[in-house]
Order: sequence, then C-alpha cells, then structure tokens
Amino acid sequence: LNAAPQRAPRQQVRFLPSPAPEGGGAVELVAASVPVLADHPLVRGPRFRKLKIGAGHRLDVKASGVFVLGIGHGNKLLTDLYNCHLTKVYTVGGLFGKATDDFSDTGNLIEKTTFDHITREKLERILAVIQGTNQKALLMYSNIDMKTQEAYELAVKGLIRPMGKSPPIITAIRCLQFALPEFQLEIHCLHETQQYLRKVVHEIGLELKSSAVCTQVRRTRDGVFTVDDALPRTQWNLQSVREAIRNCQLKVQTELEKTLA
Amino acid sequence: QDGGGLRAAMAGQARRLLCRGFCVPAGPPSTRQLREADEAAPVFQYAGKAARRKDRVFVWGFSYSGALGIPSFVKPDAGWKKPRRIQPTPYRLETEDKISSAACGYGFTLLASNTRDITKVWGMGLNKDSQLGFQRSRRDQTKAYEYVLEPSPIPLPLEKPQQTRVLQVSCGRAHSLVLTDSEGVFTMGNNSYGQCGRKVVEDEIYSGSHLIHQLKEFDSRVVQVVCGQDHSLFRTKKGSVYACGWGADGQTGLGHYNITSVPTKLQGDIAGVNIIQVSSYGDCCLAVSDEGDVFGWGNSEYLQLASVTETTQVNVPRHLPFKIGKVKEAACGGTGNIVLTEEGNVFVWGYGILGKGPNLTETAEPEMIPPSLFGCSDFSPDTRVAHVRCGLSQFAALTNRGELFVWGKNLRGCLGTGRMEDQYFPWRVTVPGEVVDVACGVDHMVSMVRSFT
Repeated sequence: LNAAPQRAPRQQVRFLPSPAPEGGGAVELVAASVPVLADHPLVRGPRFRKLKIGAGHRLDVKASGVFVLGIGHGNKLLTDLYNCHLTKVYTVGGLFGKATDDFSDTGNLIEKTTFDHITREKLERILAVIQGTNQKALLMYSNIDMKTQEAYELAVKGLIRPMGKSPPIITAIRCLQFALPEFQLEIHCLHETQQYLRKVVHEIGLELKSSAVCTQVRRTRDGVFTVDDALPRTQWNLQSVREAIRNCQLKVQTELEKTLA
Repeated sequence: QDGGGLRAAMAGQARRLLCRGFCVPAGPPSTRQLREADEAAPVFQYAGKAARRKDRVFVWGFSYSGALGIPSFVKPDAGWKKPRRIQPTPYRLETEDKISSAACGYGFTLLASNTRDITKVWGMGLNKDSQLGFQRSRRDQTKAYEYVLEPSPIPLPLEKPQQTRVLQVSCGRAHSLVLTDSEGVFTMGNNSYGQCGRKVVEDEIYSGSHLIHQLKEFDSRVVQVVCGQDHSLFRTKKGSVYACGWGADGQTGLGHYNITSVPTKLQGDIAGVNIIQVSSYGDCCLAVSDEGDVFGWGNSEYLQLASVTETTQVNVPRHLPFKIGKVKEAACGGTGNIVLTEEGNVFVWGYGILGKGPNLTETAEPEMIPPSLFGCSDFSPDTRVAHVRCGLSQFAALTNRGELFVWGKNLRGCLGTGRMEDQYFPWRVTVPGEVVDVACGVDHMVSMVRSFT
C-alpha cells in the first residue's frame, strides 16, 4: 500500500531571491511555486503505518460465509449499517437421527432416534409455523402502536422491523433440499447468533418427534453484501480489496440513505 | 510435583500397578472410540412410520358462561387453581371423538361428530332456553341445568340413531339447529319468534323443556343450516333457501316484516338461482350462487346493502352488483360482511373494525384486504386465504397453510391473540397445529385443528 503512487506534494508560493535581469549583483524577489518540503516523502515517512480494521456481525469458529470488515472510515459506516437492522441469510445444513449437547455434529452424543417417518411435507409444515410465530414477534418487538393507520400501512408493505434490541427473529425460512437423513434450510434472520440457528435445527428435530443436529452454517448474505461481493481466500490481496471497496461503495450509500433517512 | 500428588492420592496396590504399566489412565477419547460409542448407542423411536396426525379442538374467549367447556375455569377443582374469566390464547379442549363440525352461539357452543354412535352432538354453555336440549340435573332429577360447564351429550330423537350421521350444527342467540343426513333438521331452544320452525306458543317456558322439533318438509334434502340472531335459514340441495323466525328487519327475506313459524321458500332475486352457500349471524343475510354472484337481505343499517338501496331494512333478496370477481364464500357479521373470491382475495364492507386500519370504519362498497397481510410474500407466493368466517364483531380467515388470522373488536378476549386490545388488521393466532376450521361467536371462538406430525 505504501509503495503505491502517492499524492503529489503541495505547492506553495514563495518569494525567492534571484539575480536581476540587468545583471550586476542586484537581487530581486521573484514569485515561484515550489513544493513544500514537509510533504517530501523522505521527510514525511510512509503514509500508512497502521490500519484500523473493524468487523461487522460476528461469525463463530464452526460457521463460514460472508464476513464484513470495515477499514478506516468504513468503521463508521459499519456502525450505521448495524443500526439499519438488515436481515442476514444463512444456509443451514442438518442431519436427522442424532441429538448432541451443543446441537452440532461434533458434540457429545445425547440420543439417537429413528427418522423414517419424516417427510418433506411435515418439515414444511413445521417451517411454516416457525415463520408464523416469528412474524408475530417481528410485529411485537418493532414497538409500533398497532392501533394506528401507520402501523397498518407498514404491515401491508412488510416494512415493520425492530429498530432496536430484540431477541433473535427469523423473518423467513424454507427448505432447499431434503434427502433423509440430511436436509438444508435457507434462513433469513435478524439479531441472531449461529448457535441460535443450531438450536433451531435441534428444535425442528424435536418437533418432528425425532432429533436433529446442525452440520453446516454458512452466511450467504449480510445486509447488502452477498457471496458474489465477498473475496475468497485466494483473493486476499491489495488489488482485490481495493476493487471490492470501490464496487460496494454505491450500494452501501443507497441502503443507508434509504433506511436512516 | 505430580508424582507427589499421585503418591498421596492412591492406595498402595493401585500405585504399584500404575507404575509397572499394567493399567493405563483414561485420556481424551480417540476418534475410533467415539465412533464405536456412537454406533453402540441405543436408538429411540418416538413415532412410527404409520403415525397419524391427531385431530384436536382449541377454545378461547369468555369462560364464565361455560361456553369453553372447561369446568375448572368456572369452578376450580384444585386448591391452587383460580377461576379464569377470560382465556386469551387457544386452550386445548379434550374430546373423545373427532369433532367434525362446531358452532358458537351467544354464550353457548355445540360440537358435532360424524360418527354412527348414539352420542353425536355435545353442547356446553348457557342453557336457559334449552338451546342445548334437556340436561338433567344430578341433584334434582326433575330439573335441568341452566349452565352446562363441560361438553354434555344432547339426546336427539332419531329414528335410526345408529345409522344417521350429523352433518352440521349451527347456533343463534338462544336456539340451535342440527342437520342430519337422512332425518332432516332438528331444532331446539327459544321459539318466541318461530325460529325453531314450529308454531309460537304463548307464554311457553323454554327453560327445562324436552321439546326438540324435527323439520322434514323441504323441496329436497337440506345441505346447510344457518342461524341468525333470532331467525333460521335452510339451504337445500336444489339451491333454494328457506327461512323462518323474526322478520322485523326483513332477515327472513319473505317480503314482509312479520314473524314466520314455518320454513318458507325465499323468492326475490334468488328465485331459480342455484345458491351454494348462505351465511348469517346477526340480522343481515348473504347468499352466494354457483356463478359467483352475491345476494343480500335483512338489516342494512350499517351500509351492508347500501350499494343497492337506501332503505335500512330489505325484506326481499337483492343481487349485490359488485365487480370483484367470482365470489366463492361469504360470511355475515353483526355490522360487517366479508367475502372471499375465487382468486383468493378478501373483501370487507359494512361498519366497524373492517381490517384496513383504524381509519376505515364504514364503507358500502367492498374494500380488498392486501394479501401480504395474510402471509403472502415473494418468499411464499402460493399462500392464499381458503375460508372466511364471521363472529358478531370479529372476522377470521383461514389460509391454505393452516394459519388463522383474526381481526375486529376483541370482546372479552375472543380474538385469541393474547392481548385485550382491538385488532385493526389481520393478526396471526398461534395455534399448535394446522387450523382446519373455526367457529366464531360473540365472545368466544372454537377451532378444529390437526396436529403437525
């Protein structure tokens, strides 16, 4: 980063003595624009000595996916994005037949159950009910008075969202793949932790009179940032980072203006 | 350090064995040990492959009339229980048989099962006009109970009790109708306006009466019975509608404002039209034809029929020319009406809390409630409303996903939302199961639910 071409040094106007055009030793002052010595690279030193990098929403050790980082001024934008309370999308993989103590497949086994009575239809019914109860929670924690016309207008458009602290809420959940004993869900949620999502998988197992553990939690979207914008491990270099920042600037700005206006 | 602790902790023989390498202390389990333990663990079975979904009944609302059918709410049977005046959220009512049809009246409930057993109908709640039949009191064999606190069988005078099936029940203010498949309609309760279909007897005492009247004279088999507040409507297989009872608001639709004590066929705009559904709960009535047209008659003080006439009482069925599409189902409340079209859209009109926010309190033309309020979104575009029901000042809608949405005046907790405030737009009711049908009353509701798995 420090090797990249720097800004040109500032210019200043100084009155420098120079020999007079007639000759003879008389000295007169001539205005000249000269670079400021304080801006000289040897005087100033390297431009960047350390960078402030902040992290967006947490992603724990066993999960993977989109992780948003902010550099410098981006930290302030991160705080604003947090206050927008945008939803995150996860792809959660689960396995029927086992129950463990930390709800994931690497924990201590508690119980094994049969799962041949489970069908995709039953799973979708449970998912519909989860979505329904969370929809109610969405309306309740948004702190809007239900008796106003404004609340009705927002509810019609689907824009009611809790704009403050709230327990984890799932705004949408659906089944992507179902092949006994494995299944995959897509979950859109707010204010959640990855352990909460694993707990949801465990509870789905209980509801279906069996048991389930979570095998994979992958964040595919965090607010405005999707998997397409994210840089994989091979692209963790300066060029890609700069390009990524440039590409998402406009998106972040429009989203902030829309929500915090 | 460690050796010193080891020596102090263990007895002589054990220490000797350890130091000689005869036994090894346990460390963290290796992968192979974990896998073996995993495979050796017993497998539990909670539900077999042939597990069936169970049918349940949930009730909520005002309980002191006994209409919820849970006696411990009114008279607690354990010391720690307190009387519960209002049940604000759905509460399971244990029934032995599968309930196929339920109806809520004004302070009482009827449950009916499709079975061939002797007992087909149960009733609970107010019984001051014998709307639940004669419930013999255990203390005094000659007297009847005025309040029935738990679902009690109603003895019907059937000719073939082990063959006839009860198809549907309906309840009004103080009378009830039971529809059977081969023995016509049985009516019981208050008959001061002829709503039971028999001649009005002066100064008749309805409390503790054994009289259950049977109605069989219709042009074809009766397929639907509906009770208004003090009148009764019968729809036959041929598509004609019969009415009897109080007519001061024109709700009998027979062209006059007097009471009728014998079911008489309606004419007017529905003469010759094949009606597929009738509905009423207060003093206004709606009928839907097989072509999707809506006909209305009765009370119009709340703009229910103001789209065709300025008069506040309409005593002849009139066609309501709404341009909302083919109508599939209609429901009438006390002051507001609701219809469901073939596309799955819900329209409301009338007076009161109609479901479009606090600003819309009355309209004569139907207004659509946006489907996004019923759970239809880009994520689940197939969600649509399958049935609509009406209580006296509440509305209920059932979606094809088995969710129940309610809105309207929350009289004594009848909406089941858990809150006591009125609800101005459709709100989901959390029921642990897929809601199959719901019956709305004045201050309580009954729902038939199937469990998830």
